[in-house]
Formats: sequence, C-alpha cells, structure tokens
Amino acid sequence: MPAAQSNAVAEISYADALKQGLQQAMSLSPSVIVLGQLVDYAPGVFGTTTGLAEEFGSQRVRDFPVSESAMTAIGIGAAVAGMRPILVHHRLDFMLYSMDAIVNWLSLWRFKSNGRSSAPVTIRAIVGRGWGQGPQHSKSLQAWFAHVPGLKVAMPATAFDAKGLLLESIFGEDPVLMIEQRSLFGLKDRVPAIPYRVRFGKAVKRREGTDLTFVAAGVMVPFSLRVAALLGEDGIGAEVVDLRTVSPLDTESVIQSVKKTRRVVVFDPAWTSFGVAAEVIAQVAEREGRNLLADPLRICHPDSHTPMSSALEVAYYPDEKKVASKLRSLFRRVI
Amino acid sequence: MTPLLYGFTAVGIDLPSVSDRVGPMAITHEEILRAGRYRNLTIGDGEADVAKSLHQFMLRLRLCEEALAREYHPADEMRCPVHFCVGQEAVPAALSLLLRDDDYLFSHHRSHGYYLAKHAPMKALFAELYGKATGANGGLAGSQDISFPERRFYSGAILAGATAISAGSALAQQLGGKGGVTVAGFGESATDEGVFWETVNYAALAKLPVVFVCENNYFSVFSPQLKRTLLDNISQRVAAFGMPHNAIFGNDAMLVYRSLRDAVARARKGDGPTFVEAYTYRWSGHYGPASDDLVGYRREADLEAWKCNCPIALLEQALMGHGLLADQEKVQLQQRFTAEISESFSFAKSSPFPGEVDWAGLNLARATPEADRLLAEVELQEFDAHQESAQAKGY
Repeated sequence: MPAAQSNAVAEISYADALKQGLQQAMSLSPSVIVLGQLVDYAPGVFGTTTGLAEEFGSQRVRDFPVSESAMTAIGIGAAVAGMRPILVHHRLDFMLYSMDAIVNWLSLWRFKSNGRSSAPVTIRAIVGRGWGQGPQHSKSLQAWFAHVPGLKVAMPATAFDAKGLLLESIFGEDPVLMIEQRSLFGLKDRVPAIPYRVRFGKAVKRREGTDLTFVAAGVMVPFSLRVAALLGEDGIGAEVVDLRTVSPLDTESVIQSVKKTRRVVVFDPAWTSFGVAAEVIAQVAEREGRNLLADPLRICHPDSHTPMSSALEVAYYPDEKKVASKLRSLFRRVI
Repeated sequence: MTPLLYGFTAVGIDLPSVSDRVGPMAITHEEILRAGRYRNLTIGDGEADVAKSLHQFMLRLRLCEEALAREYHPADEMRCPVHFCVGQEAVPAALSLLLRDDDYLFSHHRSHGYYLAKHAPMKALFAELYGKATGANGGLAGSQDISFPERRFYSGAILAGATAISAGSALAQQLGGKGGVTVAGFGESATDEGVFWETVNYAALAKLPVVFVCENNYFSVFSPQLKRTLLDNISQRVAAFGMPHNAIFGNDAMLVYRSLRDAVARARKGDGPTFVEAYTYRWSGHYGPASDDLVGYRREADLEAWKCNCPIALLEQALMGHGLLADQEKVQLQQRFTAEISESFSFAKSSPFPGEVDWAGLNLARATPEADRLLAEVELQEFDAHQESAQAKGY
C-alpha cells in the first residue's frame, strides 16, 4: 500500500469529502465512470459531483434517463468489462426500481462465476430526512441489502469515512451500496487530502465508556454521541461503537465492548423490526447473552412509514433528550 | 383446410416468401406457418465456407443437445433445469462465426448454443450440468446460469436482465475504443420486461456497440405472444426508439448470418446498436427434452410444420444442391462430433464433485489489489458530534 505522501488534512464537509473522493478516483483511474440523473449539472447531487463533468467529460460523467433498472444493469456490464462504475441516486427510494439488477445479478455475479468474474459496482444511495421528505424520500433499507450475500453495505457517519469508504468501494472488487444520509452532508470533519481507504468490516470506537455500549450506524452515530454526552452529565459512561459498514458487520468490536460494559443499546436509522439493530443484538445474545446485566435495547424509527408534517417528524424520529432520559431511568432501575 | 392455431386457417397457400418481407409488413409466426416449406435459402458466391461452417456448428450443437436429452431424465445425474435449444440453432451458429475473442456475448437461459458460439469448451459445459468441480463454474451455476468468463460468455435465467447488462459491457467497449462489440441473445418474452425497453432506449441514445438478437419462438413457457401483447410488432416498437431493426425468418441460417454480420459490422464501426428479430421455434418443452405440454398450448401440426423447416435440414439441402456436402462427409462429421460428445460425458461423469466450500470467499473477494495499489492507509477517529445535522431546507 502506498505510504501517505502528504500530511495535509483539511476540515471539509461530508458532501465535499464525497466530491473529493470521486474527483480523486477519476484522476487515479480512467476506468472510473459516474452514472446518475443530473450528475453533470452544476448543483451536482448536493454538491458531490459538481465539476466532475467539466474535468472528465460527458463520456465519463453521464447524465442518465430515469431508468434506474437499466442504469444498474449497465453498471454491472461495464464493471464486468473492467470499468469501475459509480451509480448515484438522489434518493435510495428510486434505486428500488433496480432490485432485480442488484439482487438477481449483481450480488451473485462473483458467486455464480465461481470467482472468475467480478462486478465492482459502487451504488451511492442518498436518504432524506426532515423538511417533509415523507415516505418516498426517506427510506434507508440497509437491512434488506445487508441480508443479501455478495453485497457490501457502507453507512459512513463522518466526512472522513465518507471519502475513505467511497474510495475503498470504487477500487475494491465487490459491489457496494453506500447509504448516505442527506442530513450528514453539511457536517464537517478533518479529511486528509490524499486518496485513502477505510476498510469494510472495521468498526471504530467514537467514545470510551465502561457502563454501557452504544452501537450505531450512519446518522445515528452523531445522535448516539450526543445521547452519550447527556448521560455523561449524570456520570453514566457510554462507549460508542460506529459500525461504519453494516455488511460485513464487525461483530468482534461490538463483542469486545459489550464484554466490558455488559449492556448494549443499538441505534439504527431505520424501522425497528427485522433490522440491523436486531441482527447486532442477536449476535451479542449468541455470544454474550448470559453475561448481560440488562436487556438489550433498540433505538430506531417506529414501524411506520415516514410522515411529512414537521410536527409528526418530531414525533417520528428519535429525540436525543427523550432517549437519554429513557436510558437513564433504565440504567438506574437495573443497578 | 386444417384450422391452425390463433385464428388462421389453411396450409399450402402460396404466399410471398417470408424472406422477401421487409419494412412495416413484419413477418409473423402465422405467416410462416401459412407459407409452408421454406424455399428461399440461398448460398451466394463466396459464401461456401460460411455455409459449411454454419452447418457444422449446428450439427454439433444438435447432436450435443440430443445426447444430453437422452441422458437427462433417465439417468437423472444432471440435476438442474436444462432448457434445450433444439430447433433454434441458427442464431448461435451465426454468432460463432462473427464474434472475436474480445467481444462479449450474453444469453438467456437456453444457453448451450451461445456457450458453444463463444468457443467455450464442451467438456466444461457437460461437467457443469453434472454439478462437478471441473464444470465451467465449478457446479455453482448449472445450465441456466452458466458462464465462461475467459471467453467473455455469460448467461442467466431472469429474462431481460442479461440483455440490460449487455449494454454495460458495450459501454465499456465504446469507452475503450478498440472496436469490441457485445451481443445479447434473448427470447421475445424478454421484451415483456420494462428494463428491456429502458435498455433499447439507452443503447440507441448512446450509440452503444451492441447487437440485440431476439429469438422469437412465440412462447413464454406455455403462453403465446399474442396472449401477452396486443400486437406482435416487437421490431416496430424498437424502431420507435430510433434503432435499426431487421425481422427475419430465423431458421434460414444464411439469412441469419448475413443479418447479424451486418449488425455486428455496424456496431464495430461505431454506428450504434441493431435489433435483429429471428423468428424460430423450440422443438422441446420449455425445459427438459420431452414435451412439457400440460395445457395443450401448441398443436402438433405447428410443431411438425416447424420441423419441416429445420434450420439444419434447410441448409443441408442447399449445401448438397451446391455440391458442398456429400452424404459421406456428413457421416464423418457426425462421427467426429459424437466422439467429442462421448468424451465430454466421460469427463463429466468421472470428474469429482466440489469439495470443501468457503462460503464467504465465494460471495466476496478475498483480495483488493486495486485498492492496495492506489489507496493510502490513514486513521482518524475524532469527530465533532455537536454539529447541526438536520436536512437543510430544500431538496
């Protein structure tokens, strides 16, 4: 692996980090192409593709008709023939038109060729949240895709991870779904100027603590950190494990933390039932179930579609003060 | 007069030959049946070698399919769905002469002809059907999902999916600029899928070097085309997307060859995609060698009429008429192919089944050479969680 050639680190936003990652990937290899609706216009998918068409041309940065199904299939074919395509969806909900291409073809391409052909397609799917995005602009669905063998699912929570996981996806050999929460796009973070990688299946500890373990993904990482800070005011030390990728899932890092704290709360920005949170708790239960001091808990969305009204959005999405208060009372009750 | 299926009557009426029909008067299955025995196959000047090669390919494929069919149910050692292509040999035969090593070929689930068209080895095909470690895909894919990546051949069972994927390799070839082309073979049922039309649109728009060849065999399992669409005008629908098209009698191997030759040449020159609709007929059931007709979906008379227009027999007659094939030569060819088939059976049957399985390694790559080469390792974990993270007003 190349050693870091420059130590330059700049504080930039999540959206700018994605743009930088795309720009560097396209510079590093002529096989990198970007397909998606409006990717070649100045707004550039919330600023993440701005300037790419000017620099790399319309052959490599391709505005695509509203034909997600064909777009994904074309991404597969291009990847099989040696390209490294990046597909961009302004909203994950639109990507669902291409479920056949993703589940019936892309996920099993390597498998059914017996490892002799691969399709390294990177799919960027953006998830809306707030300002009335409603039920067709806010679905996350990481559990659906993490359930399918042969697909990797990344949920970067920080600008650093957004760039590193994007580059790792583009230049890795497997198909990747990058679930990017729109509400993270403005968050700033320290991001190295060089092209670097963040590996799949390697969670990171965002906060040290000894009393309970928070496991979080995507937008719930900053959320759980704020909850942890509130609990900290009461002397309760929450350790926060950011999964970074939900498939592969870094079960070892979760287990290590839970062995220490013997309590686990999982924060997943999706419906509660049958989700990533349930999977994490199942893995903990299988290995550490008898050692837990408290019942595991899921902090997720209600099992309901997303409302539009701002008043209902407040009720729908978890509230950090309410979650902190709930955890505080549970913690006191079991001690 | 014998009533034929789907409201048409009469046999033996002397209609204009189907091969003369061009333009908006598209040929149909009904017209082919009405026209009876096909009489228009020609071998032109300079086409003798092509004709002989097409014949040899089709004969080899037919013998291969018939041999597999004989073994399929009785022995039950090929434990996977097999969709035989007996009667539909002409399109793969033409492609076998037209595609370069660096061209891509994607096929539907009736895959064996296409597999051989890309000159992938017969032994690995047979071993794959037997689920053996020496199979083309180590026994993971079987007949309907078989691929041979080293020969750039792929297939799949979900109708239009592979057709759509073919536009992607064509895009890569267009960007690569080396004149490579992609061919997608599929049945007319694939055109019932929405993604097919999305793909036609994009291929035409982007002038992709791809040839779409539709083997219109009229049936989606049991269901005839005119039960699924109001009109059997697929080629005209393709025309509406701005793509050149050519609907032809698909059992005239010479005609199929010429049509695909022109389409491939067009793609190679950078002039964009072509749609070729080859009207043909499957002799076997949808899957398996025997008739799977549980519902009376086709008349014996129709099948017999199509057998009278066997693509191999039609070409053989012309070859013999031109003195390009003698009976003895045909026997020699049959002996050669039969020996190859016999060797392939022995290879498949004597090969081992797959052993220990690394499930994770089958589904995800164990190595990331490109990422290793291009990306640095850095680790930063700090992060300020106290920033405003609500979606900004606006889209």
